[in-house]
Amino acid sequence: MTTISSIISIKNLNKCFGEQQILNNISFEVNKQEIIALFGPNGCGKSTILNSISGENKNEVQKKFNSTELSYVFQNYRDSLFPWKTNYENILFPLKVQKKNEQVITERINQITEIFDFNELQKYPYELSGGQQQIVALMRALITLPKILLIDEPFSALDYKNNLMVRQYILKYYEKYKPTIIIVTHNIEEAVYLANKIIILSKSPTQVKSIIHNPKKYPRDINFLQSQQFHEIKNKVLTAFQEAT
Amino acid sequence: MRKKKWIVPIIILGIWQIVVSGRIIDTFFFPSPIETMSEIIRLIIQGTIVKDIFATIVRIIIGWGIAVIWGVPLGLIVGYSKNTYDKFELIIDLCRSIPAITLFPLCLLIFGIGDLSKITVAVFAATIIIVFNTAQGVMQAKKSRIIAAKLMGASKMQILKHIFFWESLPQTMIGIRIALSFCLIVIILTEMFIGTYAGIGKKIIDFQYVYNIKGIYAMIIITGLLGYALNVFVIYAEKKIIHWSGN
Repeated sequence: MTTISSIISIKNLNKCFGEQQILNNISFEVNKQEIIALFGPNGCGKSTILNSISGENKNEVQKKFNSTELSYVFQNYRDSLFPWKTNYENILFPLKVQKKNEQVITERINQITEIFDFNELQKYPYELSGGQQQIVALMRALITLPKILLIDEPFSALDYKNNLMVRQYILKYYEKYKPTIIIVTHNIEEAVYLANKIIILSKSPTQVKSIIHNPKKYPRDINFLQSQQFHEIKNKVLTAFQEAT
Repeated sequence: MRKKKWIVPIIILGIWQIVVSGRIIDTFFFPSPIETMSEIIRLIIQGTIVKDIFATIVRIIIGWGIAVIWGVPLGLIVGYSKNTYDKFELIIDLCRSIPAITLFPLCLLIFGIGDLSKITVAVFAATIIIVFNTAQGVMQAKKSRIIAAKLMGASKMQILKHIFFWESLPQTMIGIRIALSFCLIVIILTEMFIGTYAGIGKKIIDFQYVYNIKGIYAMIIITGLLGYALNVFVIYAEKKIIHWSGN
């Protein structure tokens, strides 16, 4: 049953590639302002679930938002940024597409640069490190102040320092604008650190094996990683994951 | 490293000079490089070939410019979807197989002996190359960027303008560069026909009539230098425009 605060409701979602079934009766609900982590083994179809949410309307995926309220951060940030545009032009691109006026653009840039400590706006993406490029990709996704943010393994190509930095930016943005975030990851630490609901997926054909709630309140900082609570939730996720796979 | 580029041409010129000085070949048909260079300098100082070089350059620039202006948008449209390209593929391949110069007699009948006929043939030759390369560039565009733009709500026209155009640009520039060389070839060839008032091609034929062999060599070398200079210009522009290439 769809709850009042639910913004996405997935019911019995199945997906096949050729003869191979990837998703097998996936069902879960996403409430407004939640951070959901989709956690499962490689190749289990986590990104396919994100694509079903971002794609065209289907009966199995009920959405209470329109397409302009959704933003997507891709795993391969290098191939999603436009190298012929400066970082500034990349970040503004969604607003240009939506034909926003200069006043809105200036306002949004100020809002976003308040959150991100990033001063390389006039450079090109290829002049930046991997971590900085991911920050540009994130800023571009957030410039529209989306209601729904889908993030596909944003940390997979980053070193630990950049990984922590990008996580902090996501949480900082969440604290300020409270979007609903669905994040795909195969790293337990990232899932527990960011999400308040962790959906454990089995290997392919993928099913939802369990949903673990993370009661830790926001804001969360680096100290949470060292806490007893963090390790308890992490162990719970690990146990559920082992049972699922 | 740059100096090494000149080693082979210097060796060839040296061999040429030795062969001529030793009278191993007929010096009437093969003048020495020194005589040829002297002829180039003489022709330039006298100013007799300046208007010919200028006329050729103007025809090349007009023909090539027109081909770029409509060839690039046409290539973008043709390459936009596999379905569209499939529909155009046969006609593109057919046109690519037609030596452009075979159209010249027909153009002479339709447009007369003026510049229009020459430029029309050059436009035909260059357009096909630019359309083909631009369409290939569009079809090789990274899907991830197109998906990203679609998810941001970009319309087909915005994707064409902001993504496909830029994604295809490295391949488009290759087409533009090859098209320039084709324009040079076609223009000089058409200038050798009747009715040309000035042009490198006309000058080569004029020198042939009067057995000015040194003059012919001089004009051939000038043609080579002109082609080289135009190529260097496009490569320079390419590096400036496609600044992200290789990064």
